[in-house]
Amino acid sequence: MELFLLTGFPVLMAAAVFFLRQDGIRKIILFFTGFVHLFVTISFWHRPRDVQFNPFLGFDALGQLVLNLVSVLFFVIAIYLIGYLKEKRKRSNGIFLGCLLCLLSSMTLVTMSRHMGLLWIAIASTTLLSAPLINYFRKPQSIEATWKYLLISSLGIALGLLGTLFLAISATPVKTIFLADILDHAPLLSPSWLKLSAIFLLVGYGTKMGLAPMHTWKPDAYGEAPPPVGALMSGAITACAFLAVFRVAQICFHAGLQEFISPLFILLGILSMAIAAVFIMGQKDLNRMLGYSSVEHMGILALGIGLGGGAVWASLFHAVNNAFAKALIFLVSGNLYQGFRSKKIENIQGVIHRFPATGIFLVLGFIVIIGFPPFGIFYSELLILREAIVTQHYWVVFLYFLFLSVLFFGYSRIVLGMALGRPPDNVPVEIKKETFFMIAPLVILLVVLFFSGVFVPGPFYDLLDGAAALLGGR
Amino acid sequence: MWLELALILIVFLGVVILGSSRLGTMIQLFAAQSLVLSATPWLVHPGKHAVVLAVGTVVIKVLLMPNLLFWAMRHVSIRREVQPLIGYGKTLLLGGFLIGAAFLISSRMDLPVRETSNLLVPCAFSVIMIGFLLLVSRFKAITQVVGYLVMENGIFLFALLLLDKTPLLVEMGILLDIFVGVLVMGIVINHINQEFGSASTVNLTNLRD
Repeated sequence: MELFLLTGFPVLMAAAVFFLRQDGIRKIILFFTGFVHLFVTISFWHRPRDVQFNPFLGFDALGQLVLNLVSVLFFVIAIYLIGYLKEKRKRSNGIFLGCLLCLLSSMTLVTMSRHMGLLWIAIASTTLLSAPLINYFRKPQSIEATWKYLLISSLGIALGLLGTLFLAISATPVKTIFLADILDHAPLLSPSWLKLSAIFLLVGYGTKMGLAPMHTWKPDAYGEAPPPVGALMSGAITACAFLAVFRVAQICFHAGLQEFISPLFILLGILSMAIAAVFIMGQKDLNRMLGYSSVEHMGILALGIGLGGGAVWASLFHAVNNAFAKALIFLVSGNLYQGFRSKKIENIQGVIHRFPATGIFLVLGFIVIIGFPPFGIFYSELLILREAIVTQHYWVVFLYFLFLSVLFFGYSRIVLGMALGRPPDNVPVEIKKETFFMIAPLVILLVVLFFSGVFVPGPFYDLLDGAAALLGGR
Repeated sequence: MWLELALILIVFLGVVILGSSRLGTMIQLFAAQSLVLSATPWLVHPGKHAVVLAVGTVVIKVLLMPNLLFWAMRHVSIRREVQPLIGYGKTLLLGGFLIGAAFLISSRMDLPVRETSNLLVPCAFSVIMIGFLLLVSRFKAITQVVGYLVMENGIFLFALLLLDKTPLLVEMGILLDIFVGVLVMGIVINHINQEFGSASTVNLTNLRD
């Protein structure tokens, strides 16, 4: 029953959305599906952590963590979309909402799959279902972004498939590629093929996650997608890709190949942070800036996994907080676009004067994402730094500090200018009020951020611990 | 014997695709390559499993995908690739070089699984590399999709090594995913054409830093 409500039900509702013509009913269905999904997800909190529905589908702590994240984000974005879609009534939203609901189902599948082949299928379908979402506006720029996204991601996914096949070859003595079997018999795996497989899987799923140098689709896609879609992609879909990358690390960890895989993770992480630091300076487009910010944070996640030990826990904690914070800023950028009709930073000035509530959330979101205390990202970045010092990766410490400070400078210049600057003189004719549906999701996200970062409740803490233990974290 | 013949035919067709400039010919050659490909599961490991896989391949890769690509091609009214990034002669030369590299690499890797034919792995790698070369060296959106599909054909060949191990469900899912991927790409190609007046990705250069 739960299995159906989590995976089948959204697809069913997608079909309903596609055939029902009234926009009102469609929005109700969207909201209702998000609500049911969130409700079922929360109902798992009070049950044993490892649930197995059938050989292919089940949860461990990590799967549940990411599922919670996906579910909360989807619910919030569903609320936001109720107001957002009212704005653009020109075209039918059937395909858009249908793809969105199917995407929920396939992201759930990613969190639940206990088979590496099924994991690949689920990840591939999240790519395909998000492509029509990016192309919502059907402008030349959005088509260009969609094409780049499709081509680069498909290439990454093809490499991921090849990696999965290599994994299967290395797992010949085990006979299957069910995750549990592989982990149990990890020492039996053929090391040379496993190494090859780990590289391909890392590159393939890393493309999906947006790690440099496979990140090139990210600023384009995030820049051109509608902001709620950007929120879902930078929060939920990257978290799903992170889960896949985590599985790769998990298999290598059990097979005793840590020495081999850790430097790769550290390299990709530092490279991503470097690329983000270079391109965030002088960025002229708000959403593209967020794209590079996402590259940076994915880099921090990879770095955390690479350092191991306490950094694994920090990495998971960071993943959760980053997802919610990114979604918050993306939704703020959606409000700004509705208010200023522009994504160019030079046109968006003096937000606090024009839209007080949105302006406050802009600054708050910025404070969270940049890693100010008391929010979670500060804590996780500090823990990763600590682990780097403890394990004596001094050059990592140096670069980490360097890039974080460059990024800090870059963000502050852009965001504080936007929030506090003087409003431009050529005021757009239509000045709209901030509506309930524009602000309520931001409030929810801020509350969630507070509970995921500052005052962490017990069950969530246990979940993080359980997930970190999968990779030998504390 | 038949398996080796099929494998060599597949690589050969890949090389011909690499050298052809007409889009229609490329799509037809891809369909032919997939048709040969659909016979290989039976040759490697005869059984019910192989039949299902063969039928799936024929339906999706020989019938649906080429038709979809022809549909996209009619809509965008282009017939040939103009000015590839790397000239045809050089691409062919590079393709030959990559095939050589694929054979060299494969000879160095020892497989833990029993091989049906020692041509299987090198041919799979060759086709993957040809597809990749096609993908990166051409500008037309349709050609890039064909390149992607050729690459997928190579991955399919490689998957034959594991035919008796991986569950059918997963394999069919993979085939379906690839099909939906091409479907989405086809639709996007159509959008590209509507907006830019040609389906050349040369136009897609507005977004940069």
